Amino acid sequence: MGIKDIVSEFLRFKSGLIGVFLLLIIVGMAVAAPVISDEEAGYRWYDIEWWTEKNIPKGVPPEWVGIIEGREYASTSEFTYRIPSREGYRFTFNISYDMAADVPPSDVILYINVSKAEGAADEEYIVVMNIYRPDGTSLSRVLDLTTAAPLAKITLSTDEKARSTIITFMKKYDPENFEDITSRGLTNVIDVVKILFSEAQEDVLLEKAPPLKGEYKFEITLFRRSTNVTFNEARLVVLGSAYGIFGTDSFGRDIFVGIIWGARIALVLGLVVAIVSVLIGVVYGTVSAYVGGWTDEILQRIQEFAISIPLLPLLLILAYTFKPTIWNLILLLIVFSWPGPVKTIRSMALQIREQLYITAAKAVGASTSRIVLRYILPQILPYTFALVAFAVPGAILTEAGVSFLLGAQGTLEITWGRILSDAERKSAVLTGMWWWVLPPGFMIAISGLAFVLIGTALDRVLNPRLLR
Amino acid sequence: MAVVRYLAFRIVNALIILFLVLLITAVMMNEYVEDQIRTDIRERAYQEIYRNPQYAQWTEEQKQRAVQERIKFYEQQYGLDQPYHIRVLYRTVDAMMFNFGNAMVLKSAGGSPVVSDIILEALPRTILLFTTGTIVTIVIGILLGIKAATKVGSLLDRTISTFAMFTYSLPMWWVGMIFIFYFSYTLGIFPSGGMVSIPPPEEPMAYALDVLYHLALPLIVFVFVNFGGWSYATRSIVLNVLTEDFVNTARAKGVPERKILYGHVLRTASPPIVTSTTLAILGSIGGAIITEAVFNWPGIGRLFYQAILNGDMPVVIGLTYISTFLYVFAILALDFAYALLDPRIKVGVGGGR
Repeated sequence: MGIKDIVSEFLRFKSGLIGVFLLLIIVGMAVAAPVISDEEAGYRWYDIEWWTEKNIPKGVPPEWVGIIEGREYASTSEFTYRIPSREGYRFTFNISYDMAADVPPSDVILYINVSKAEGAADEEYIVVMNIYRPDGTSLSRVLDLTTAAPLAKITLSTDEKARSTIITFMKKYDPENFEDITSRGLTNVIDVVKILFSEAQEDVLLEKAPPLKGEYKFEITLFRRSTNVTFNEARLVVLGSAYGIFGTDSFGRDIFVGIIWGARIALVLGLVVAIVSVLIGVVYGTVSAYVGGWTDEILQRIQEFAISIPLLPLLLILAYTFKPTIWNLILLLIVFSWPGPVKTIRSMALQIREQLYITAAKAVGASTSRIVLRYILPQILPYTFALVAFAVPGAILTEAGVSFLLGAQGTLEITWGRILSDAERKSAVLTGMWWWVLPPGFMIAISGLAFVLIGTALDRVLNPRLLR
Repeated sequence: MAVVRYLAFRIVNALIILFLVLLITAVMMNEYVEDQIRTDIRERAYQEIYRNPQYAQWTEEQKQRAVQERIKFYEQQYGLDQPYHIRVLYRTVDAMMFNFGNAMVLKSAGGSPVVSDIILEALPRTILLFTTGTIVTIVIGILLGIKAATKVGSLLDRTISTFAMFTYSLPMWWVGMIFIFYFSYTLGIFPSGGMVSIPPPEEPMAYALDVLYHLALPLIVFVFVNFGGWSYATRSIVLNVLTEDFVNTARAKGVPERKILYGHVLRTASPPIVTSTTLAILGSIGGAIITEAVFNWPGIGRLFYQAILNGDMPVVIGLTYISTFLYVFAILALDFAYALLDPRIKVGVGGGR
């Protein structure tokens, strides 16, 4: 059967075509990863600082969720105010933000950009912020801090002053819950940004009040002590409550980026492990069958030994002993996967060995290596395509498992297993962040499915047993 | 006689496998284990000399010398003065005799640091979850598989085949996470993990019910992920037998279809099904590391996970040995069963599974 026949036979199987289609999608993701996402993201995945600087909302669902739910999620918006340079020590200006979303923004970040006179020492300045809400209420001195940083970055959700001001403001509308929360020491769990954008009413501290839509005025006042300090600009970033295709994790990383870069590792690892280990297994099984006798006996015992080793425990121990890079992991997986196809291949080779043309080749005086390489292996080789396809999901699944268990001790590449591991460690499941858990698992399942479908179709086409 | 020789050969084979797996583990873990023993010895020696009022009036130098002597004594006792290969060999043989020593960090619920105690405590819990799950899966799987085989091409048949393919590459632990999300977080009808509520109920009856309640979700996940594969495999085996000549003959003779299926076909199809059933049930005792970790189920798998996280090497060695032991024992048991039932099996070159 030539390659052409195999392909045309294969195309008759609908399931095989679906498999190819799924595989193409994943390959597309893997190839396009550096193009459709920031190329740096590939090796910056674990650099949380780098992600924080990108101002991506943390732990928010995908953008399309709003369409399904019929609710509007706030999107990220930025307001820059260029501070006119003038005399005086006090600068006051307003930035207004129109909150029209049903799900309020996830955070508010204020940047103040300052430059100092040539040769002057770093000098402190004061940042004060008042907030005027659409319902006529106002919060004074939500921010009140002194800093000397040339670029001050103030995050509302983590700033202590802002937290206590907002909670104290809401206390008078929801006194009972305030008592309860304070007595249980849970005040630092409250999402203050969410309640800042909520109606001031009962249960607001439980984050159960409806959003308060309308125009929010952020009144910012800067004080300087001398004219050595020049205020350049203020930038107010209102982080949205939904992001991208797959949302973000609680570190503010774009999960879609992780998924497409993870596809590269999964494909490379799955294919390399499957191809190499099946090839080793095929040669091993063929040699064992053809040479026979004591060689066969010893090779079979070695194979039985190798296949009896419980894979995951030993992989974990090994990964613990050696620092696991992705290539180490591939090597280990090959060491433990090659015995898989040996028995099947051996029985196929045993049948081929008895064929007349092999006897003829022997009679003519062909060497063992020639008979194995030229006459037996080519007969078996087509079937190994199916074996490779079936071996890929196992390798991907095992890698995901190892990465999941090892977590931060695992490989430094982006893998789907590691994304799930982070999700588990940050209890994404118990905080409702399904978008962190579903995509990586789906990708593992889909890539496995693609290869199983292809393998099943190939098996039907190539497996001598099933040929009628 | 051939059977006895065959079985003897198999047992020796199994022992060699066990020995080699343990040897590999021991070689890799040796450094950690010995570091721990040395620290223990130092601590004990210092305590013996410095805490003993008998030696209170000794000079610092005398005490130091006494400590060194004690250390040397203990090192001899633990065999640390032996060359490397002997030490590793000792450790391997020790483990083979189920003598794993004391854990470094982990303890059993009763506070015992003996590794075998810790493992024996976790073992029944894993059996409770995974062996029950395996049995339920197999029953459902085989029944559905037979049904599908008798109705090839029906909606049931196609659904099972598709489902089997989809679940083949589904990570069980991920399905666990999703189920926890949906049934525990969203619907709130099942607990999110663990084996009993905290604090556990006092009454035995209430305790048992509480365990069952916690068991339900992981059990459902296990069955959900695995039964598709079982039905598909059963379907293929039964389908193969259904095309054999003797089935046609029976049909031609007018044997009722039910009788053909249960009397003739299933009897012929049963050996491979029995094989996989045995292997699966025995294999289930080893548990599933990641699934137990996700469900916080305090069995063998989670114990292994904790041992790795804490670097508790004696526990790791013990668990590796136990899981290899179970695996090898399962294969051995099958060989025994076949040797007794199937007269065709003989020892010799090329003999085997």
